[in-house]
Amino acid sequence: MKTVHGRVTAFKDPKLPTAIAIPKGPEWAQVLKNLTHAQAETLVSVIRTLCPHECLDISIYRRAVSHFDRLAAAAEVAGTIDRFCEAIVSGWPLAFGALAETYRVQALQRLQETAEFMFVQRMAVRYLYDDVEVWAAFGYQGASVHLGGYVGRGFNDLDWLPDLPNDL
Amino acid sequence: MLAPIYEFSADDVVVIIGSGAGGGTLANELCQRGLKTILLEAGRHITPAEFVNDDWAAYEMLSWLDKRTASGNWRVARDHPNAPSWHCKLVGGTTVHWSGCTYRLTQAEMQARSLYGDVPGTSLIDWPLSLAELEPYYDQAERKMGVTRTNGLPAMPPNNNFKVMYWGAKRLGLREISTGRHAINTVPYDNRPATIQDGFSVSGDQHGARWSTLNVEIPKALESGRLDLRASCRATGIEHDNNGAAKAVIYVDANGITHRQAAAVVVVAGNCIESPRLLLNSASGRYPDGLANGFGHVGRHYLRHIIQTVWSIFPHPVNMHRGELMGGLIADFSRHDPSRGFAGGYYIELNAMGLPTTAAFLNPGWWGRDFADVIAQYANMAGIFMTGEDMPQPGNRVTLSETETDAFGVPVANLHYDDHLNDLLMRNHGYKTLTAIHQAAGATRSIEAPAYPASHNLGSNRMSAKPEDGVLDRNGEAHEVKNLFIADGSAFASGGACNPTLSIVALAIRQADFIAKRAQS
Ligand SMILES: Cc1cc2nc3c(=O)[nH]c(=O)nc-3n(C[C@H](O)[C@H](O)[C@H](O)COP(=O)(O)OP(=O)(O)OC[C@H]3O[C@@H](n4cnc5c(N)ncnc54)[C@H](O)[C@@H]3O)c2cc1C
Repeated sequence: MKTVHGRVTAFKDPKLPTAIAIPKGPEWAQVLKNLTHAQAETLVSVIRTLCPHECLDISIYRRAVSHFDRLAAAAEVAGTIDRFCEAIVSGWPLAFGALAETYRVQALQRLQETAEFMFVQRMAVRYLYDDVEVWAAFGYQGASVHLGGYVGRGFNDLDWLPDLPNDL
Repeated sequence: MLAPIYEFSADDVVVIIGSGAGGGTLANELCQRGLKTILLEAGRHITPAEFVNDDWAAYEMLSWLDKRTASGNWRVARDHPNAPSWHCKLVGGTTVHWSGCTYRLTQAEMQARSLYGDVPGTSLIDWPLSLAELEPYYDQAERKMGVTRTNGLPAMPPNNNFKVMYWGAKRLGLREISTGRHAINTVPYDNRPATIQDGFSVSGDQHGARWSTLNVEIPKALESGRLDLRASCRATGIEHDNNGAAKAVIYVDANGITHRQAAAVVVVAGNCIESPRLLLNSASGRYPDGLANGFGHVGRHYLRHIIQTVWSIFPHPVNMHRGELMGGLIADFSRHDPSRGFAGGYYIELNAMGLPTTAAFLNPGWWGRDFADVIAQYANMAGIFMTGEDMPQPGNRVTLSETETDAFGVPVANLHYDDHLNDLLMRNHGYKTLTAIHQAAGATRSIEAPAYPASHNLGSNRMSAKPEDGVLDRNGEAHEVKNLFIADGSAFASGGACNPTLSIVALAIRQADFIAKRAQS
């Protein structure tokens, strides 16, 4: 397992809405408006397989799925997700989330060239790494203008290479 | 001063379509020369207070998101099939997004056909003007944009990402290494503040240290009292008179109402997809294949530069997100050198992105343990970038859909691009160089990222000495259609290697001189 690199305090731009809180435990599904609970649990396992980070709490993956839920208000997206969630379990004896990683990866690989997979994979990356808790875990500090930028906060603090000459 | 509102029937105005690098600059330059100017812009007029420090929220706020399609063997067609080109839709155009690298073309690049010879499969031509003719305008452009290292303005201070590049390049024996030149203030200049190294110039640059037409040219044009700025207005066609000269623009305003604005001169500056799209959509009895398209060059010879990034992981933190994003330059490979096995040169620069867009652009479609391990090391990641000359090919082009139209009834644009062998050889050389630089600085892993949607869009309405070779003459006026000009990057006769905006601005200033002189006579 990878160690966590450079945990920092990260900021979302104060003008943007803050991330929605995800209840701990199975009642998290109450935030859903469009997906079924089963679809949402499948997607949580799918995103954890696509972007596996043991250091990230499951609530962060659930929050990514809450964005899928929001997008699923559009019929076209809802259809894509329906088809994906059906295809990903088809031919397997257990629910996606009950499979070992080996089989979860195989199940995803089988769908890799489909439009549905591409949508799910792109949106997983789009929303998971847009989460301020992920930023904090991986060392991305985020919004900076409201803090005066990085001019006095380390834009040139790299100290593991020799000093630079002055005439650059 | 109150901004004027010119009559729809006013036929003594210049109407410019698009307010980005070319159109926004030209509008101000014409106003300063006393001409009545109308600037039509498809996007909204927003203030810096609206800008956010956020990769995705800014992308969604600033970008041109109308549907397009893509074809050809370039990887962009697969990764970004409905958004193959990356530019903005708002007052200020893509200068609200850009990262401020400001370099000049060289005389050699402006004679690409003569210098490179007959490269099979290409449609290379020489520029119909010389560097010497452009130089005074480069000087003016650098002054108005406040370019670092010119006019006594201090250089961009080096940041962490630069330090990595510098030591890697130094250890490889490269020599032409600097922080480069940028239209970003390092000291207060022209009522704009110095950079605070916030790292969000591409999110609109809320702080305002970077030149854009939104924060410099358009306010000055409005102050002159001669600019009629019409935001949220989408041009859909251009009309001509009985002699075939441009005379009016049809556009749809924010309320969906269609207008016909008369014009003495029409200038199209909608960037490389929209400008040819508008000309092609303006076909008439006299111009059955589209305006200015008698020789069939409108939309062709589209260029996007050889742009790509290598992202590498180091054993220690880099924090590339801190500071201006592209403050570095290596020019050792910028000259044409046939011994490398391909025509043209490339510049090496820096690239830095926030975690959200790094994850998305690292290698679209990549997933699983390996991907996750790499992205988790974001803090230890550095980015190095290249921009090089790609080869013009007649088949690389913008065309109109025969089946699909947008909300304004204009056919959706398709962008076709096939990589030329020369392009592949330069990409290959570039990846190896970029990776070698990072390895020499101590990288433990390098990822050769594919090109993202085209950000240097050029050439699709090119200038040419002979009418049969292109669309425009040396002043950017259509060979075929009097009083119809192009003021954006589509006018480039060939791409050169460097980031294009300084040249777009210099050409626009030169064009303003030409239009103003003609108006006087
Ligand atoms: C992320 C990014 C970083 C960049 N960094 C650099 C850099 O460091 N250095 C550099 O030199 N270049 C850079 N560029 C490229 C640079 O931004 C462009 O080359 C330049 O802005 C192009 O100028 P333009 O006038 O051709 O078009 P734009 O600036 O794109 O302006 C075109 C305008 O026309 C409007 N428009 C289009 N069609 C219509 C219509 N039908 N009716 C009304 N309005 C219309 C659009 O909404 C837009 O506002 C960057 C680009 C991107 C995307």
